[in-house]
Amino acid sequence: MKRGNRLFMVWIGILGAAIIAGIVTAVKLFIEGHGLFNTNDVIIWSLPLGVYIFLALASSGLTLLASIPLVFGVSRYEPFAKRLVFLAIATLCGAFVSIGLELGNVWNMFYIMLSPNLSSPIWWMGAIYSVELVLLIVKFWRISVGDWESPISKSVGVVSVFCALVAPLMIGSIFGITESRVTYFGPVMSIYCLLMAMLSGVALFILYSLILQKATGEQVTRAQMVMHDELALILKYVAGAVLVFTLVRVAIESATRVPEFLMIRKYEHTFGTILGLQLEVALGLVLPFLLLVFKAVRTSWAGKVVASALLFFGTLGMHMEILISGQSHPIGPKAEQFGEALSYGPSVWEWLVVVFAMAVMLLLYTFGELYLGLEKTTGRKTVKVADQPIPSQQMRLGENR
Amino acid sequence: MPRYAMVIDLQRCVGCGACSIACRNENNVPDGIYWSNKITETVGTFPHVRYHYIPTLCNHCEYAPCVRGCPTKAMHKLENGLTMHDPSKCIGCKYCEFNCPYGVIYFNWESPHRFWRETVSVIENGTASPKEMLAKVGSKATPYYNPEREATLPGTRPKGVVEKCTFCDHRVKKGELPYCVEACPASARVFGDLKDPNSQVSQLLGKFRPFRLREQLGTEPHVFYIRGYNPAQVAPSKGGV
Repeated sequence: MKRGNRLFMVWIGILGAAIIAGIVTAVKLFIEGHGLFNTNDVIIWSLPLGVYIFLALASSGLTLLASIPLVFGVSRYEPFAKRLVFLAIATLCGAFVSIGLELGNVWNMFYIMLSPNLSSPIWWMGAIYSVELVLLIVKFWRISVGDWESPISKSVGVVSVFCALVAPLMIGSIFGITESRVTYFGPVMSIYCLLMAMLSGVALFILYSLILQKATGEQVTRAQMVMHDELALILKYVAGAVLVFTLVRVAIESATRVPEFLMIRKYEHTFGTILGLQLEVALGLVLPFLLLVFKAVRTSWAGKVVASALLFFGTLGMHMEILISGQSHPIGPKAEQFGEALSYGPSVWEWLVVVFAMAVMLLLYTFGELYLGLEKTTGRKTVKVADQPIPSQQMRLGENR
Repeated sequence: MPRYAMVIDLQRCVGCGACSIACRNENNVPDGIYWSNKITETVGTFPHVRYHYIPTLCNHCEYAPCVRGCPTKAMHKLENGLTMHDPSKCIGCKYCEFNCPYGVIYFNWESPHRFWRETVSVIENGTASPKEMLAKVGSKATPYYNPEREATLPGTRPKGVVEKCTFCDHRVKKGELPYCVEACPASARVFGDLKDPNSQVSQLLGKFRPFRLREQLGTEPHVFYIRGYNPAQVAPSKGGV
């Protein structure tokens, strides 16, 4: 897809329309309030918050992936570094759009700075993601001008990766410290969010890179193919870790007789089930993991696209399932007004918030590819290595698994 | 500095709901929001059934999860133990509402008291529209608007922020009782200083075995419940055989 070509114009047109619809939604939300959402005082957080978690974690995952070349110095990944950092920035911007429209009074956000509450995980999450965004922008600027090695550039890289590690833990702890909701309470959510960040970040990058190759008709070198296969291998391992974690969680939740778990068990199958397993887990985690296990599938273009797409969107499904099922029953006197259990389906306005967030993210991706030379590694001599025949030792890494 | 608490005598409480109505009037609480509420439960199998009624309000917890989680300190503790909310600092993240173990915090999903701004009358040329009625009364927001609420909090809270019971801090400040206590026809509610051993709340807590809602969470609620009305009798038997 190139500037001026018809497909490109259609793409920009779609994104433009989505952003206009998003701006209209934002204005309507500011005027009429969040009564436009299908939320209430029981199901308090809904699709826009789920999408924020999804995109913010994906951004953290991309930053963690970028640390392979930028912090740990694995030079053969350097051709991916600039694109990874940019995607992390753009994805985080999309996340901020979603959370901005979820907040009831975004204009009071400056009190996050003026009146900080250091015991609040929401404060830490906001602060860390804000710092991470600034650091990623600085890092992107430094590597764009060819500064990969200066102490400032390295330090910014290290701190941004530290932020990307801590921020998902903070998102998890927002849920983990709610004594009122036993199904969330504890450190499980933090560990889960960190694993999900890695999973969605790697899945997003593989999906994006492969679709971009097709869209631009770019020639793929053998070295790039091998590295994509390596990324698919990383994806397999991360998906395996999330799968083990999810199955243990499901097993414990199924075995316990704690009343809160019995309550949510009735309502945690929003998307339906296959063989007793939630649909989003079956299709968004188990199936793609099985696909990635087979080398022939994992190393094919279609196999990688299907597996990474299922995993990427599967993580959104899993976030939503956890978010909604944990809120499905009222606490205390709210049962008087709302009944024993509630179901949820997003309103048109909630979908439009998601469309807005995604459109901002995709528009940034598009402009980044057009104007920022994301494939370039200015100032790096090691870049040539990626385009040369792969050393036999590195080839074995991909082939032996 | 006092440490305010409330004791609710469940034997005296008849479940009339006067506390909730009084609270709504005193604090200009909008529709759909309940600063003063109740938990009801029916137990047993017909004909052996019983109805339980527990009035609820903000527990003004010593270790309030809503205060701990609020990112901007909009939800905060006063020195006298009251948990207060500052709408001007609230970003509307709703974490306090999510985090409250007692379900007593509500969000203003839309502009409050919208009904009273409607211009359509029930009977055309027969009755006044809500807006006209409001204008005739010369009141703000609702015809029964209480301006005294403005002493410590906006009279009505705007859309996009949360709100909850304040133990009528504006009245307490003047040495008056919270309005639910004042309005209770059965004198089931007692309000006072926990630190004062001679206050009625201290005396009642020493006289009866109180319970608090979800005590196991360690939040140290400052709303205590004592006694419980039950006219039933148990005939002596050897284990019911």
